[in-house]
Amino acid sequence: MSTNRHPIEQEELMAYLDGELPPHQAAEALSHLELCPECRTLAADFRGVSQELLAWEVESPEVGIPLEINAALGEHLQKQEAAKVSSPRLENRVMTSRWVWAGALAIVCVAVLLKLTLTSRNRNEDRSTAYPSMASIEQYLMPDRNAEIALARSASPEAISSDAKILILGWRGYETAIEGKNGFVCMVERSWMSPFNSAEFWNPKVHVPLCFNPAAARSILPLTIKRTEMVLAGLSKAQMIDSIKAGFDNKELPAPELGAMCYMMSRAGHLNDTVGHYVPHLMFYFPLTDKSSWGADLRDSPVTLNPQFRDGPEPITEFVIPVGKWSDGTAAPVM
Amino acid sequence: MISDEALMLEFQGGSRAAFEELFARYRKPLYGFFGRRLNNRERAEDLAQETFLAVIRAASRYEPRALVRTYLLGIALKLLAAERRKLLTSSTLKQSAREPQADGTPERVLWVRQAMEKLDAPEREILMLREYEQLSYSDIAELLRIPLNTVRSRLFRSRLALKSYLESEAKTNPALRAGAGQPHPERRGMQ
Repeated sequence: MSTNRHPIEQEELMAYLDGELPPHQAAEALSHLELCPECRTLAADFRGVSQELLAWEVESPEVGIPLEINAALGEHLQKQEAAKVSSPRLENRVMTSRWVWAGALAIVCVAVLLKLTLTSRNRNEDRSTAYPSMASIEQYLMPDRNAEIALARSASPEAISSDAKILILGWRGYETAIEGKNGFVCMVERSWMSPFNSAEFWNPKVHVPLCFNPAAARSILPLTIKRTEMVLAGLSKAQMIDSIKAGFDNKELPAPELGAMCYMMSRAGHLNDTVGHYVPHLMFYFPLTDKSSWGADLRDSPVTLNPQFRDGPEPITEFVIPVGKWSDGTAAPVM
Repeated sequence: MISDEALMLEFQGGSRAAFEELFARYRKPLYGFFGRRLNNRERAEDLAQETFLAVIRAASRYEPRALVRTYLLGIALKLLAAERRKLLTSSTLKQSAREPQADGTPERVLWVRQAMEKLDAPEREILMLREYEQLSYSDIAELLRIPLNTVRSRLFRSRLALKSYLESEAKTNPALRAGAGQPHPERRGMQ
């Protein structure tokens, strides 16, 4: 494979398959893979090697916590408990001097705060986030239409996405790139679908590929469309929140339909700067629901409550369940 | 599901249940880590236990800067290095043969093990950390203290070498190839 004919190196292709490329390169790799049989063969070879290696399983004997560990654990916890019991006396001894230190610390804090206030007085940006305000619209658009289509499709297995409607983001909002046949809608959401208080609400690097099933396409997609329209129209967050509340009140925005869910199994997305492409997962939407009814966030439960709409204007509860494979069928790391 | 890191902090705060949960999550992966590298079940079990003992002893020093998974594998790698040094100075080295022994192990597994043995040790370690422990490139780089690009290039070389070796073996023994490439029911990585 010559690098003249291929926009990505073989090593980069391998890194893409491992979910190790940054979002823009991953989208480029995915787009190229769709068009290049030679690279698809190489990708299949790499996947084949990984598959072969899985034959080497190591069966571990089923045992509980061994005695030696149990003893060490007991001793450790006992020491810790003893330390806790003795610490109040120590606290008493240092209380007097602590007041002196607290006074000094307060003076230093006031001085630092004063300094910070003075130096930031003329700055109108929010220093608490790297993405304080909306970037230019151009930065949220993907320059390669085919790359965005491929990225959107990568959200679900091909058996679903190949017949799904594909939406891509344009200057005026989402537009249909490919008509679908099965009622699913695949698209790449942008950062403004994050919670309104998210530090990455305006992060232009966020690309979230997902495929809504028909119920979600009817009842959740309208929310994505609405938020996007408002963002492109330049509304403030407060205005958007008010408008969404009104939208649900006057039924312009529908409640989640029974069975609404989406696939998020792409290895090429970038959900945010902390989790990157995250793990492949499915999301299920409901009208406001107590998370305990799904056993979400409990120990050993694979279900978590997604914070996307928590404390937001949308009366929607969203549960997430990780799955073990990426949309291309390869095994994924488990959380 | 409570994250490993939250469990570790709970354990630091004195929770036995948190440790038991971490033990349940990582006993098998750690056994697998040592089992694949030493081909000795007893030592694998011992060293997996040693790893947990080290966690208990160092609990107060743990800081949630790295994933617990990476933290545990860092300890495991140190124990493995010590074990290998011991083996080098003992006659056991001769017994822990370079060629895997057919101790009732399925032929396909032996085939994979033999293929892995053909790789250079540093490349093999990177490949194993990626394929079996499912570490990211940056985690591997950090654990092995090598540049990220080195991880990527060595991983690339090792996969190509392995592919070529497995292909040539498959030509000489087509029966092995018959079962190859079939989807595996479950991937056992660091969970």
